[in-house]
Amino acid sequence: MNDIPKPDPKSSPAPATDPIFRELRFRSLTVKNRIFRSNVSGRFDNEDGSLTQTRINWECKFANGGVGAIISSYVPVLMEGRIIAGYATVHRDDFIPLWQKLGDAVHSFDSKYIMQLSHSGRQMDLPGIHNQHRPALSSTSRKDPLNGFLCQAMSKAEIANTVAAFARGAWRAREAGLDGVELHAANGYLFTQFLSSGINDRTDEYGGSLRNRARFLLEVIGAIRAAVGRDFHLQVKLSAIERNNVMPWEGKGNTLDDTVQVAQWCEDADVDAIHVSTGSLFPHPLNPPGDLPIDVLATTYDAMISSGVYGLRNFMMFRYPLLRPIFRWLWFRLKKGHPVEAVSIAEARAIKAAVKIPVLNTGGYQTASVVRKGIESGAFDAVAIARSLIANPDLPQQWAGGFDRPAVPCTYCNKCLVNAPKNPMGCYELARFPSREVMIDQIMSIYRARPLLRTPLKAEV
Amino acid sequence: MVDQPVTAVEAWLQRRRWRLRLGLAVPLLLLALAVLVLIVGGFALRSFMDNGPVAYASIEEHYKYGSIGSEPESGIPYWIWKVLPSLYPEAFDHRQDYSAFGFLYEQDASGRKRDLPIGISQRKVHGIDVVWLNCATCHTGTWRTSPDQPAQIVLGMPSNNLDFYRFVQVILRAAADERLAPDVLFPRMESAGARFNMLDRLMWRAGVLPNFREGLLRTRGRLQPLLDEQPAWGPGRVDTFNPYKVLQFGIRADCRRGEVGNCLAPEEVIGVADFPAIFNQDPRARANMNLHWDGNNASLQERNLSAAIGAGVTDKTIDHAAINRVASWLGTLKPPASPHRPDPAVVERGRTVYREACASCHGRQGNGDYVFEGERLGQVEPIAAIGTDPSRLDSYTEAFRERQINEMFVGTEYQFRHFKKTNGYADLPLDGLWLRGPYLHNGSVPTLADLLKPPDQRPKTFVRGLDVIDPANGGFQSPPCTPSAPPPKGFCFDTTLRGNGSGGHVYGVERSAADKSDLLAYLLTF
Repeated sequence: MNDIPKPDPKSSPAPATDPIFRELRFRSLTVKNRIFRSNVSGRFDNEDGSLTQTRINWECKFANGGVGAIISSYVPVLMEGRIIAGYATVHRDDFIPLWQKLGDAVHSFDSKYIMQLSHSGRQMDLPGIHNQHRPALSSTSRKDPLNGFLCQAMSKAEIANTVAAFARGAWRAREAGLDGVELHAANGYLFTQFLSSGINDRTDEYGGSLRNRARFLLEVIGAIRAAVGRDFHLQVKLSAIERNNVMPWEGKGNTLDDTVQVAQWCEDADVDAIHVSTGSLFPHPLNPPGDLPIDVLATTYDAMISSGVYGLRNFMMFRYPLLRPIFRWLWFRLKKGHPVEAVSIAEARAIKAAVKIPVLNTGGYQTASVVRKGIESGAFDAVAIARSLIANPDLPQQWAGGFDRPAVPCTYCNKCLVNAPKNPMGCYELARFPSREVMIDQIMSIYRARPLLRTPLKAEV
Repeated sequence: MVDQPVTAVEAWLQRRRWRLRLGLAVPLLLLALAVLVLIVGGFALRSFMDNGPVAYASIEEHYKYGSIGSEPESGIPYWIWKVLPSLYPEAFDHRQDYSAFGFLYEQDASGRKRDLPIGISQRKVHGIDVVWLNCATCHTGTWRTSPDQPAQIVLGMPSNNLDFYRFVQVILRAAADERLAPDVLFPRMESAGARFNMLDRLMWRAGVLPNFREGLLRTRGRLQPLLDEQPAWGPGRVDTFNPYKVLQFGIRADCRRGEVGNCLAPEEVIGVADFPAIFNQDPRARANMNLHWDGNNASLQERNLSAAIGAGVTDKTIDHAAINRVASWLGTLKPPASPHRPDPAVVERGRTVYREACASCHGRQGNGDYVFEGERLGQVEPIAAIGTDPSRLDSYTEAFRERQINEMFVGTEYQFRHFKKTNGYADLPLDGLWLRGPYLHNGSVPTLADLLKPPDQRPKTFVRGLDVIDPANGGFQSPPCTPSAPPPKGFCFDTTLRGNGSGGHVYGVERSAADKSDLLAYLLTF
């Protein structure tokens, strides 16, 4: 904290010429700079999936900070596809006005808003009352190896129903005036469960070969295009390398070559951009990259114990210091040799070389020069950032002001991540704050703007 | 609906709760098994590595109770030793100890009888307490001035009370006796104070008891035919080399007449002789004397080793340090002074006779110390000249000597090199003579007075094993007896039996009665 970086005009170009602040033109969308807020959320919303003022506040914090576009948090297209009950959904037409309010708010801060359409599949951290009574739908009936989330392989009718739900979700996003949609086909959620050779064990046309495993994703893309047309921005987030063997007995999953092929198929299917991430689980040792505070997990993972059949086992590994080395070994062995910042830049570069559409990359970006070099060297066209923006929502302004790194940077401690099941989303790195009160104040700042409260109508009670 | 599980996970857990999960159960079982094996193995290893004798700081205690390494191969597990008297009450004269065979029990500092007798040492062998013999077994005796006086224990004198023949017979008989079965032994051993846990019990059942009994049966198979060929030894006597032949070399004592092969020859089958006194070993070595009754070895170290083998050590179990400790103490161990007080004037006359008739072969009693000088001291007197019973001489054969030299401790510094076959008996110093009766190598002449008589006038039968000294005749009281009517105390020794002949050593018998009386008075002071 003593060596606060100074603006360095010599090494950082003026915003006018800085590639970071050059606008990015997709086919049907133009973003003012190359900084996207990556998808991240907290439990801000209502149990029925309707979004709240708090979410609007949350998103506007980043729009105000100067990012070119915000990729929404994970937005389920069906209630049966929620990761965490308490995240806003897009499964009902009557939510369109709510999303419209959100879109308008973000636009007022001169930022674009891309809704990330999602389905958890079996990776359902807090199922809630809608889902707790049944196994989640997935490509497979094999439970998730890390938490023991139960699942049931989808029938073809269920697949068709889900494809249609994505198309309707995209249509609702367009109706709400949002700027585009992203399919969350990375990080272990339903699309990954179909794409991954380490997870998909189907014997029908949705399993087996890579083409078969990609069929569900491509059907969704086709259905969305059919619903919203070619001129609505559609991007796909992919895990370039899956590294599915966090539990050592699991298969490694898809390789970079597999994902390059899937990206090309997406391009052929009129997708407008690829967002490159990594890992077939969330969280994964390499995503979000950085530390894993097991001592914090010991106080928050209890919210998830009953979600999976391995919940108690994992909690004990977090709770009892003598058992922690087991989990530490499982987790940290996969990190070896990988940097935190730009953890998947090589994969982004490989995919960018294989497609003509723009490529976004996520993975610990916080240093302007790293991002600038990535853009200039053709590794990607833009970066998507979550944690570093949570720590410093004004990061784009700091970069624009000549700072290569923020004065009080994100430490990649991942305390925001492991607090998610239990506490409001925010930065929990006490060392970044002068006091605990200041830290709590910052976390609570998203509750500042409150909705107007009213007496419910008779039909509403 | 009421009984439905709250969540799908709960339903899954309920379904799975009681199902055997082989994938988990088998590794867990194997792990548990491995842990169990490790624990049991650890205990077993600890027990297996637990070896070593009970140590004694005092040299006298070490001599009496310290181990020389006889227990591992030859010994009796301590708890079996403890219960044998109660299992075979008639053989032990209904005493709860081994005193029936002449084993000597001392009292401890608080006046209680000690647990083990003199001559029995204790050592842990792979965690099991085992007891067996040491040097003191055969070389610790007692004397008293009258039957109602307490016995005085003298270390280094012949074990005049020990009836080793009877003791061994009782132990060998037990080998095949049903009372040595585990189901009989366990309750007995536990009531005697043994504490067995599960592992001990397993070890005893699977290892200790079968091994002990197997060893005992093997010993019996080899030794019993030999003992059956020999007259009862009586107290204070042992066959030095024949048990050694049958046990160490597997030479058979049960061959049919005329059978050739690995057989004891009829002429060597009786080698019984008295336990010797073992005072003053260093002067004997310095005088380069031939040791053993027949003088078959002049090396003190080899003689000690050979004697230790007789007590049950083997080349693998021998405790050289313990034996060396005893040997260096014995080097200068003096016999207690004679309590006899003959007329000094007579003694002076006797000294003159002794100088003429005896000193050149036997050395002499000096002022306090024995003088190991004499031109024939320690030399072998040919059997034709000395004329004493030849059985002991004949029991040591050239064939046995060769096997001793070629098979024992081969390739080690302890390999035998000095044994030789002689043709007679060695001339011995007479230090501690008052404690060494009966006399001659086979203990066939009860008193010194009798030894000065012509052979045909020496007693044909007499009682051995009484420890009351005889101030008139020298040695111990040895009243006449009839072999067919055993005396109430002691053992009726019959000189007419093979190996027991009391002939020979006629030196001085032709002298006048006055000379012999003077000589006797002088000898009483030795």
